[in-house]
Amino acid sequence: MKETFVRFSRRQRAEHVLVMSLFIILALTGFPQKFSDAAWARGTLALMGGVEIARALHRFAGIAFTLLAVAHVGTSIVLVTSGRVRPSMIPGRKDFSDAIKTLRYYLGASEEQAKFDRFDYRQKFEYWGLLMGGLLMVATGLVLYFPLFVTRFLPGVVIPVAKVAHSNEGLMAFLVVITWHIYNAHFNPDVFPFDPAIFTGKISRHRMEVEHPLELERLTGKADAPPESPKKDA
Amino acid sequence: MTRPWAAPCALVLALLAQGAVAQDAVEQEVEFCLGCHGEKDFATELPSGDKMSLTVDRGTIAASVHGKGLRCTDCHAGMGEIPHPERAVKNTAEFHAGFRDACKPCHFDKYALSVDGVHGKQLSEGNEMAPGCVDCHGAHDVAPAGKPRTKISDTCAACHPDVADTYMKSVHGVALAAGNQDVPVCSDCHRAHDISDPRVTSWIVKTPELCAGCHTDAARMSKYGLSTNVVQTYLSDFHGVTARTTKARGSAAKEGARVTALCIDCHGVHDITTTRAENSPVLRANLVKTCRKCHPGASESFPDAWLSHYEPSLKKAPMVYAVKLFYMIFIPFIIGGLVLQMLLHLWRVVVNR
Repeated sequence: MKETFVRFSRRQRAEHVLVMSLFIILALTGFPQKFSDAAWARGTLALMGGVEIARALHRFAGIAFTLLAVAHVGTSIVLVTSGRVRPSMIPGRKDFSDAIKTLRYYLGASEEQAKFDRFDYRQKFEYWGLLMGGLLMVATGLVLYFPLFVTRFLPGVVIPVAKVAHSNEGLMAFLVVITWHIYNAHFNPDVFPFDPAIFTGKISRHRMEVEHPLELERLTGKADAPPESPKKDA
Repeated sequence: MTRPWAAPCALVLALLAQGAVAQDAVEQEVEFCLGCHGEKDFATELPSGDKMSLTVDRGTIAASVHGKGLRCTDCHAGMGEIPHPERAVKNTAEFHAGFRDACKPCHFDKYALSVDGVHGKQLSEGNEMAPGCVDCHGAHDVAPAGKPRTKISDTCAACHPDVADTYMKSVHGVALAAGNQDVPVCSDCHRAHDISDPRVTSWIVKTPELCAGCHTDAARMSKYGLSTNVVQTYLSDFHGVTARTTKARGSAAKEGARVTALCIDCHGVHDITTTRAENSPVLRANLVKTCRKCHPGASESFPDAWLSHYEPSLKKAPMVYAVKLFYMIFIPFIIGGLVLQMLLHLWRVVVNR
């Protein structure tokens, strides 16, 4: 049997499934509102039973997304500060040099490939993009959900500001997912047609060697530093 | 010797002669009827005791649009015989009801439209107060309905005095009275024959289209310094999205249900004023009261959530403009960068092979 490594915990896999489902629901119910003058948008809204139902679904999924974000941030802070997991998502100076190294390699200017730890700079970029964008969507979404309450404390203009931000941030998230994320998870020749790691939670030794050599060294104790009791990664 | 122009000439002469004969026949008949009906105080009494005047003014009928083309019996069918046949009418209302279909043979299109209109439905349900053709167009004095345009609002005012009074005080009504030809009269919004019941949702949700008919017309609006952007800015905001998508569902909207704020909900309907008027419901000082009609408890700053039909710009709503501009640059930058990196990766994969 092929040797595998645990890449994602049960909690992380569940988070991915949830965020994926909610993302699809939010996009399906959100974009027809943004582009309501287009025929496809009106068709989609009619299919859902009208704009009021689409809005209700959007708000329901939005609340679920908010809870998921709060739960994720909360658990991550607790796990990292209590020392139960390594803060492997924190970007550092190495990520910048890795990015430059990788681009030079792509361009053929160098044959040296960056060696990555648990998460490479692209994965960190996507994670922080999703987290920050998600929090922005939550904040602006809540402003749009409760305009009467919000304008008791803030000037009225925050409503159109939140609307423009929510609508554009949502569009950007959608474009990032259908280009960058779909490429990395499906069309990238290294994983084509499908990278199942986020669903199975497992990754092969070969992929560890190629994609995360530093992590592999740390886990198998081949690095210079002798392994203490190896910490679980987040 | 052949005369090739003889045949066409003869034809033209024949047609002219026939026209003249027809014209003569109409005049002859009118003169004949006026022999009795031209008498002053020519009247009869109906079984109900109603006094019924049967006098027709020669000048009135001559000045009407039918004055030179119709015989009396074209409308008063069966009255060609002297003495006239007995008619079983009890009162004035029944007498008038007998003429309801008189216009139908010539004006069938308009007749068919009005049968489906709100007045036609009221008539068919037995409401004798509802108007038929002659109540709006006149009978012997029938004339073009919209000349001058003030005539239209005067006609409706006969039965709808309150709403007509409100309209005459509105920005449209005042302009109409001053001779303005651009403002809408009753029939521009309500239509003339196929009038809808203005209380049903399926009609109410279409009212933004009515306003848009004039308020997106650049030539007309530029005369008054009015923006033609008002409809687009409305449609792209919350209320407009609801209105537009509800409209798309057509009559599926529940009758009587409140849809969303439409033009008329903020600006008013028959009482619409200029947005600069002191009592305008959309003047900033009055706006919160208008918002509270649907959003009870709205704070003083709530109305600023609406950009008053302005597109965000450096002058109007600079914050909104700044966020919009930021994303106009940021989205292509991020997506462009990511796509570029994807392509570079693919390029390297190809090179490696």
